[in-house]
Amino acid sequence: MVCMELTGKPQNVVSAKDLNLVACTRCAKVWPVSASTCGRCGHKLVSRDSQSLSRVWALWVIGFMCYIPANIFPMLKTRTLFQEENSTIIGGAVELAHYGNFGIAAIIIFASVFIPLGKFWAVAYLAISIKAGSRISMNRRQMMYEVVEYIGRWSMIDIFVVAIMSALVQLKTLASINPGPASIFFALSVIFTMLSAQAFDSRLIWDAQVKDGGPGRDE
Amino acid sequence: MNDELPDVSVSPVRKVFFSGASFIWILPILALVVALGVAWQTYNSRGPLVIVEFENGAGIKAGETELRYRDITVGKVENVGFTEGLGKVVASIRVDKDVAPYIDSSSVFWIVQPEVTAQGITGLSTVLSGVHIEGSWDDQIGTSTERFVGAAEPPLIRSGQAGLEIAFRTVANGQLTDNAPILFKGIEVGRVGRAKIAPRGNYAIVEALIFEEHRSLVNENTRFWDASGFSVNIGPSGAEIDFSSLATLVGGGVTFDTFVSGGGRVQDGSIFEIYPDKESARNSLFNASEVDPLKLSVVFEDNISGLAVGAPVEMSGLKIGEVEALSGVVDYDVYGDSRVRLSVNISVQPARLGLPGEVTAQTALAFLKERVATGLRARLASASLLTGGLKIEFVDVPDATDAQLVSENGMSPQMPTTESEVSDAAATVEGVFNRINSLPIEELLNSAITFLDSAEALVSDQALRETPQDVRNLLAEIQGLVASEDVRNIPVALNATLKRIETLVAELEEQQLSAKLVAAIDTVADTADSVSTSIEGVPDLINDIRAVAQKAEALKVEELITEVTALVDTAEAVIGSEEAAALPVALKDAVDQVNATLKELRDGGAVRDLNQTLASARQAAANVATATKDLPEISAKISKVLDDAAKATDAVNSSVAGVPQLIARFEAVANKAESLEVEELLSELTALTRTADELIGTEDAKALPGSLKRALDEVNYTLQELREGGAINNVNQTLASARNAADNIAVTARDLPQIMERLTGLFAQASRTIQGYDKGDQLSRTAQDTLRDIQKAADALTSLARAIERNPNSLLLGR
Repeated sequence: MVCMELTGKPQNVVSAKDLNLVACTRCAKVWPVSASTCGRCGHKLVSRDSQSLSRVWALWVIGFMCYIPANIFPMLKTRTLFQEENSTIIGGAVELAHYGNFGIAAIIIFASVFIPLGKFWAVAYLAISIKAGSRISMNRRQMMYEVVEYIGRWSMIDIFVVAIMSALVQLKTLASINPGPASIFFALSVIFTMLSAQAFDSRLIWDAQVKDGGPGRDE
Repeated sequence: MNDELPDVSVSPVRKVFFSGASFIWILPILALVVALGVAWQTYNSRGPLVIVEFENGAGIKAGETELRYRDITVGKVENVGFTEGLGKVVASIRVDKDVAPYIDSSSVFWIVQPEVTAQGITGLSTVLSGVHIEGSWDDQIGTSTERFVGAAEPPLIRSGQAGLEIAFRTVANGQLTDNAPILFKGIEVGRVGRAKIAPRGNYAIVEALIFEEHRSLVNENTRFWDASGFSVNIGPSGAEIDFSSLATLVGGGVTFDTFVSGGGRVQDGSIFEIYPDKESARNSLFNASEVDPLKLSVVFEDNISGLAVGAPVEMSGLKIGEVEALSGVVDYDVYGDSRVRLSVNISVQPARLGLPGEVTAQTALAFLKERVATGLRARLASASLLTGGLKIEFVDVPDATDAQLVSENGMSPQMPTTESEVSDAAATVEGVFNRINSLPIEELLNSAITFLDSAEALVSDQALRETPQDVRNLLAEIQGLVASEDVRNIPVALNATLKRIETLVAELEEQQLSAKLVAAIDTVADTADSVSTSIEGVPDLINDIRAVAQKAEALKVEELITEVTALVDTAEAVIGSEEAAALPVALKDAVDQVNATLKELRDGGAVRDLNQTLASARQAAANVATATKDLPEISAKISKVLDDAAKATDAVNSSVAGVPQLIARFEAVANKAESLEVEELLSELTALTRTADELIGTEDAKALPGSLKRALDEVNYTLQELREGGAINNVNQTLASARNAADNIAVTARDLPQIMERLTGLFAQASRTIQGYDKGDQLSRTAQDTLRDIQKAADALTSLARAIERNPNSLLLGR
């Protein structure tokens, strides 16, 4: 059988595709490539998702498009007795920093700016690396992908904060906090980023090894 | 173990047109389309930018300050900056697209800030929320403009606020502040804008707005006046402070009224004058349009203080002008001495003279010249009694010395003057008070008090109270006298006397009286014949009587009455004199003397002398009885006398014819008597009574009752003595003598038949006379009239008596 070592070094791995086999992604039973559906669980069998990158890019674009208004429009509408304040994500963080709450400001900046932007970068990098190759090892790219997938759900923390504050601070005319239009865009942006990451077929990462290390088969 | 895998058919990748492309790309494309659509719509719906310049920012913030129209946000300031050279603040306002077309050149922008004025607090909401910019524009879409100059304060008339736009012109220094209310009967019906000085600086112009619903209150005859401040009146009802409202007190205000009807409709932009007060506003209505005034100068001889600049010049009570300047003038050449005279420059408004036709200063001067020639003069007169202010009056002086309204070269025409009519009210009032002060009120009251004291003393006098008791005693004495035996004997004596007379009469009857009577009647008939012949001579006599009556009628009774009145006056004076006052003393003395005399009488045995005297009388009666024996002769003499009487009756008879006229005369006299001025006489009598009253009040009068009482006592004693002294017996004896005398008469009666004959003749004569009276119907009527007149006079007297009875005071008070 195939001996697999996770040494990180390129090894000659024979993929299922090379053996004209395809594994069911749901129940993991291996079928010949010609089979179109899993005979056990009935799942559709695809050796490689040829549409994966397309979907990734499409969803990525939508997510990024949503991210722009999410930063331009106000996230929070804070209305006190005589004043109505609209704060954008960055504006709010800067304001907090002005008042000396650097920690909170840093969290907001980190959760709302760095993480989404990092996700965009990571997904884009992975998608590009499939076609163009990368100097980063496949293992690290796989780890990067898993981190992106894992962290995606936590990106909604901003939306949670806005939702909770809106629910709590509703003192009629005295003071009230309402979510601004940016919150919707931000949520959409997070959703589409997650979808984009999920659409990525991580097996494609490893296909490159086959192409690159064609001679590896010989070993 | 079957290692062989089933054949896997590896189909080649289909090469389609969009190979590698997935339907998933529809999503981003869709999103892009949506985003672009939204972006385009946002851009499309964005309104234009309006730039407004303000003097200062006043708290405008970019991105925050709103533009409001009717308090609805229609835009937001996007940018705040300065004009070049930092002259003004520029606010760029993004305006809503649907509103933008209406923002044309007529738009006005101003900054709404909190403001506290007398009319209230405005813009309170901007205290916390910050200022906002308010815009105002009409509902017409005009040519669009981008740059505006912001107003410093809100415009008076905002767009869409309908109303009558008018302007006020005022010369008074009224306190017309911004937004001062226009009040009508205390209700705000409009607003005044900010006052501006007219270009030439001679008055202030104020824009004002009458709200649409009150537009009909204002017409061409409406007059506005200043209601600001307050007025203090000190009048008969006390001091009054009057002001329309607190707002007008602080910030001023205008009120108005339409005093006369018939004014035409007022158009927007009409200019009204603001008068200082209601009076002048009302007066202005009756003044025609004013023209250039006619300047006159007046020089008054007397220099009286009180005339001030602005004092009215009046003619027939109407103000026609006012004093413009005052100065003293000394001109030896013109006036002949160096006295200071009061020179006054006055201006007369020709419009107020009511001249027909075109009114100018020239026509007014001509009119005044004409009037001066007929006696119009200027004089100083009191304008106010309290303040002593003066005014100038033009009055017609009936017999004025000739004067002309001369207009010298370059000088204003000089109005001739007449004597001033300045009443010094203070001096007059002081004089009145002095007179009241000097009235002898206290003395009068003292006199009244002493009179009442005297009356009280008189009534409470012991002697006066005892008087009734004395009277009672006196009556008791008299009763005792009547009840005495002697008095009761008197009827017996009388009875005897009567019996004798009865027998005498019986004797007379025995004589043939009837035959003698018949003869007497014949004689009468003869006599009547002779009388009728003698009547012819009577008329002359009547004429004489008539003449006498005329003379009597012509007597000046009125003069007599005035004489009587004068006499009464004199009497009054006499009574009022000290001698009269001394009378009671004398009277009292006299009574005292009588008293003393009576006492002396009693003491000196006068009663005894009286008894002796009665005895003498008795003897005298006896003498009479003897003397009656000579009676027959006497009767003969009587018959002679009767003849004469008959003759006299004839004469009377003849004179009867003239009596009616005589009575008429008497009637006339009675009429005159009726119309005599009795009232005056009464009033004089009243006065006399008063004097008498005063007289009674004297001490001597008070002493009178005492004297009277003593006198009564004396009388009482005297009567007692009389009874005791046997006076009654003397009387009885006297009656007995009388009886003897009667016996003698009975003897004499024998001669009576002859006397009867004579009497018969006399009766006949009398009957003729009576017939004569019967003939005279006229006479009786006239007599009746006379009686009526007398009755009237009696009635008058009766009513007078009744009046006096009802109101005894009237005699005293003379009413």
